[in-house]
Amino acid sequence: MDKKTILKVYETMLTIRKFEECALKLFEENKLRGSVHLSIGQEAVPAATGTFLRDEDYITSTHRGHGHAIAKGARVDLAMAELMGKTTGYCGGRGGSMHIAEVEKGNLGANAIVGAGIPHATGAALSARIRGTDQVAVTYFGDGASNEGIFHETLNMASLWNLPVVFICENNQFGLSTPQSKACSVKDIAVRAGAYDMPGEVVDGNDVFAVEKAFLKAVKRAKEGKGPTLLEMKTYRWKGHWTGDPEVYRTREEVEAWKKKCPILRLEKHMVDKGVMSTAEIANKHKEVDGVIRKAEEFALTSPEPDPATVLDNVYFGEVN
Amino acid sequence: MASKVIMPKQGLQMTEGTIISWLAKEGDVVEEGKPLFEMETDKLTIEITAPATGTLLKIVREEGDVVPITELIAVIGEAGEDISSLVAAPAAPPQQATSGSVTQRVFASPRARWRSEEAGLDPATLAGSGPEGLIIEKDVLAAIDSRPAATPLARQAAQETGVNLTDIAGSGPRGKVYRRDIVVPVYHTQREDRLIKLSGMRRVISERMRQSLDSAAQAVHRIEVDMSEAVRLRNNLKAAEISVSFNDIILKSVARALLCHPRMNSRLTDGGILELGDVNIGMAVAVNDGLLVPVIRNTDTLSLVKIRGESRRLAEAARTGTLGPDELQGGTFSVSNLGMFELNSFTAIINSPESGILAIGAIKDMAVVVDGEIVSRPMCGLSLTYDHRVIDGAPAAGFLREVKNLLENPYLLI
Amino acid sequence: MSIKKYAVAIRDVIAEEMRSDSSIFVMGEDIGPQGGIFGCTRGLLDEFGENRIIDTPISEAGFTGVGIGAALTGMRPIIEFMYMDFTYEAMDQILNQAAKLRYMYGGKATLPLVIRGQQGIGRGNAGTHSQSVEAFFTHIPGLKVVQPSGARDAAGLLRTAIRDNNPIMFFEHKALYANSEEVPDDTDFSIPFGVADVKREGGDVTIIATSLMVGRALEAADILAKDSIQAEVVDPRTILPLDMDTINASVRKTGRAVVVHEAHKTNGVGAEIASRIMEDSFKYLDAPVTRLGAKACTLPFNLVLENAVVPGVDDIVAAVQNISYR
Repeated sequence: MDKKTILKVYETMLTIRKFEECALKLFEENKLRGSVHLSIGQEAVPAATGTFLRDEDYITSTHRGHGHAIAKGARVDLAMAELMGKTTGYCGGRGGSMHIAEVEKGNLGANAIVGAGIPHATGAALSARIRGTDQVAVTYFGDGASNEGIFHETLNMASLWNLPVVFICENNQFGLSTPQSKACSVKDIAVRAGAYDMPGEVVDGNDVFAVEKAFLKAVKRAKEGKGPTLLEMKTYRWKGHWTGDPEVYRTREEVEAWKKKCPILRLEKHMVDKGVMSTAEIANKHKEVDGVIRKAEEFALTSPEPDPATVLDNVYFGEVN
Repeated sequence: MASKVIMPKQGLQMTEGTIISWLAKEGDVVEEGKPLFEMETDKLTIEITAPATGTLLKIVREEGDVVPITELIAVIGEAGEDISSLVAAPAAPPQQATSGSVTQRVFASPRARWRSEEAGLDPATLAGSGPEGLIIEKDVLAAIDSRPAATPLARQAAQETGVNLTDIAGSGPRGKVYRRDIVVPVYHTQREDRLIKLSGMRRVISERMRQSLDSAAQAVHRIEVDMSEAVRLRNNLKAAEISVSFNDIILKSVARALLCHPRMNSRLTDGGILELGDVNIGMAVAVNDGLLVPVIRNTDTLSLVKIRGESRRLAEAARTGTLGPDELQGGTFSVSNLGMFELNSFTAIINSPESGILAIGAIKDMAVVVDGEIVSRPMCGLSLTYDHRVIDGAPAAGFLREVKNLLENPYLLI
Repeated sequence: MSIKKYAVAIRDVIAEEMRSDSSIFVMGEDIGPQGGIFGCTRGLLDEFGENRIIDTPISEAGFTGVGIGAALTGMRPIIEFMYMDFTYEAMDQILNQAAKLRYMYGGKATLPLVIRGQQGIGRGNAGTHSQSVEAFFTHIPGLKVVQPSGARDAAGLLRTAIRDNNPIMFFEHKALYANSEEVPDDTDFSIPFGVADVKREGGDVTIIATSLMVGRALEAADILAKDSIQAEVVDPRTILPLDMDTINASVRKTGRAVVVHEAHKTNGVGAEIASRIMEDSFKYLDAPVTRLGAKACTLPFNLVLENAVVPGVDDIVAAVQNISYR
C-alpha cells in the first residue's frame, strides 16, 4: 500500500471505531433502541477491503454491519441518524442499525438474518456477468453463517457459475455466545471452500496488510472470470454480541489478550515505525475523526422523528390498488 | 308474574316526565307494543307502549303527575294477581330503567333491514322465511309487492292519519296513491264539531309563538332569488349520484351568510346582545298537528353532503317521533320552508330566543327581465323575519342580500 | 388471437418479454434443455442461451436469494419453482428478504422479481406436491400474489408481473396447463393487477373463486341455473391486491356470497375475503358469507380421497343452495 492508501485505510478504521463507541454511548444514554451490534476490534476487515472497491462494486453485509457501510462510503451522519431511527437516516428509520443500505453506491444492504445476504451478493455478481460488466460483489458474513444451508447452496452456485464474488467470513470466534469450536465441524472455515472447488484462505483479520493482500488477489481472480474465493478473516469481537450481553462465555483475560492485537494500534505502530505518520499527526487525526463523529451524533440527535403518516410508504413500489 | 311499568328515560337530558293521559284504564287488557300512555318531556310528547301483555292491574301515577325517570307508574299482570309487593316496593333502580321499552327482538338479515328501511316497512310486521324464521330480503320484497302503490308522502300521510292505504282508491296511474288521496278524504269525514285537547306539543307551540310575538320587535324583509345556478348545481351533483335538496343548499348559504353577519346569529340577554359563536340552524319540520325545529349543529362547518345527511336524518326523526331532546336545543337561527305548498313567500314567527328566521317559498319559473329581455327563470321568494331590537333594517337587508348572492352564485360556497 | 394452452401462453409471454427487455432472465430447476417439467420454458434455451436461461442446482433458498441480488442490481429475474410447494425451502428469502427489503431500506431498493410455478391437485403428487400455498404470501406485506385461472388471464397477468417493479408470487395450476383459450397476439397485451373478472353474471348469489375453482364455480353456476338460481362468478385474479370494489358491487347486488378456493379453508384467503365483505357490505347481506376450501387434512395421494378433500362442483352447488333459503 502506498502512503495515501494506508492513510485512507487508517482513517476508515478510526472512523468505524469511533462511530461504534459513539453508538455504544448513545445506547447507554438510552438515546437509541434495538439491538446494536458493535464491530469494535474488527475494523481491519471492512477498512482493508471496502476501501478498495469502486462505487459500482457491490457489498452485502450483516447485523454487525456499520463498518462495512462506512468502508463502502456511507456518511456517518446519515448512518447514525438511522441508528436512532430518524427520518434523515439511510432508511428513514425503517431499518435501523441492522439494515443500512445505499443501493446506488453498491451497498446492497446489511441484513439481520444470518447468512441471508450471501446469495444477494452472488446474485449481484450474476447480474454483472449477464450484463457483461467488470463489477465485483463482496459479501461479509460471520463464522456462524457458514453453518447456514444458504451459505453452502450459494458457494456451490457461485463456483459452478464462476461468478465474480468474494466471500468474506469475519470469524470473530463467537456465534452470539457459542464459540466456533462448538458450532463448526472444521477448525478453519476456509477449508469449506474446498468442497466447492474454490480457493479458501485463512487471513489474519487484524492485519490490514494481510487482509488487503488476500482481498486484492480474490478481486483479481473474480475480475478475470476465474470465479469466487472464500476468505476467512480471523478476528475478535471486543464487545458482547449486543450491548448488554453478560458475556459469560469468555474470560476477561481472553478479551484483554485480543485487545493487545488491536488492528488500529498495530497500524499506528507500523506508521510511526515507517515514518508514515508521527505520533502528533496520529493524535491530530484522532481529534479530527472525533469531531466528525461528534457532528454526526449532533445531526442524528437533532434530526426529526419520522411522521407516522408515512409509515405505509414504500411497502410497495408505486401504488397498490 | 306481573310487570312493572316505569317512567322511561327518553333522551340524554330527561330526568322526569309528565303523564299526559292514560290510554287504558285499570282492568283493561293491554297488549305489548301497543300504546299505553302519553307522556310529555320539556320538548316532546310521546306515546309509550305497553312493556308486556296482560291486564292493567294498577295505575300508580295519575294524569298530570310529574314522575322522575324509572319510577313505577303502573302494573300489568294477570287478573286477580297479588301485586301488593310491587306497588309497595321502592322505585326501581336505574339499571332497570330500560325495561319500559324492551320489545321482542326481530331477527332479520342486514339486507332485509336495509330493504325495509328503504321501503318504510317495519320488519317486525313481516313473517320470516329464512332459517329459524329469519326475515330475509325475499320477505320484504313480497311485502312491498303486496302493498298498494303509493308515493312516500302518501305513505307518511297514511301513517300520520292512521289510514290504511289499501282502503284508498289512488288517483295516480294504475291506482297509485298520492298524498292528496289521503289528506282530502280525511277532512271530509269530519262532519261534526270536535274539541281537541291541547297536547303537550300543541301547548308548547301556542305558548312559544305568543311569547315570541309579545317580546320581539318583529319586522320582515322580502327578496326574490334567481335559482338558476342552484338548479344547475343540484343537477350536476345529481349526475354524480349525490342528491341534495334546494333546502340543503339554502341551509348552507344561510350558514355562510350568518358568518358574515353575526348579529343575525344572536340573542338578546339581560346583559346585552349575545352574538353566538356557533351557527346551529334549526329547520322547521311539520309533524302531525305540530311543528318541531330540530337543530343542525355547527351548520357552517358541514359540507353540503353532510348537511343533506343531517337534514334528512333529523326530518325523518322528527316525523317518526324519535328525535332526542338534545336534537331540539341550541338553535341560533331558523329556516322554515313551505315551498312544497306552492307559496310564493310567507312570513314566519321568530323561534325565540333567536333573532331571525328565514321563510322559503316555492321555486317557480317566472318571467323576469335580464339584460332587457323577458326570460323565464326559476325564482324563489325569501322572507326574513328579524328582531328589530337587536338588528336594524339595513344590516338585516345586508344579510338577506348575502343569502341571495350565495344562492345565485353557489360556487362561492366552496 | 391464437388458441393457446395455458402453459404455452406462459412460455410465449416470457419469450416475448425477454426479446424486448435484455434485463430479464429465467432461473430454476430443469428449465434449460428440459424446458421445465411442464414445458413453460420449452425452447427458450435455444433462443436466449445459457446466460439468460439458467438451470440451477436444487437449492431453492440459494437461487431465490441470487434472484433477489440480481433484481437489486438492475435485472428482472423470473424464478421458476418446479412446485410452488418448494417455496417452503426458500421462505426466509421470500418473506423476510424479497417482501421486506424495499421497506427496510427506506424505499431505496427496488425488486422487480417474479417467482412463478404451479401448484395444486390433479396429478396424485400427495401431500408435499399438491398443496395450494398462496395464502402464506398474502400475510406478509410487500408481495403481490397472482392466481390466473385460464390461458388468457395467465398471459395478461404474467406480462404485468414481469413489468411490475415489485416481487410477485405467480401461482399457476398444474391441472390448468393443458386448457386452451383464445389469447391476444398483441405483445403488449396485459391485465392490470387488482382488477377482478366477472366470469359469469347473475343476480342471486356471488361465487368468488380462484384458480382451478373458477371452472368448478362456472359448472356449479350452470347447474344452479336449472334451479333458477343465477350465480355470478367473480375471479379476483390477483388476491393481493384484491379487487374488493368488484366483489362488493356483486355482493351488494346479490346479497349472498360463497368464497371457494382449493387451498385449505382454515385461515385461507377466503377468510380474508369473507370478512372484508362483512366489513364493507354487511347491510346488503341476506345470508352469512360461506367459505369452501380444502378440508383440514394433508392432501392425500389417492384420487378418491383427494377429491374428498378439495371442493367439488357438487359442494359449491350445495353451499349456494344452503344459503339461498328457497
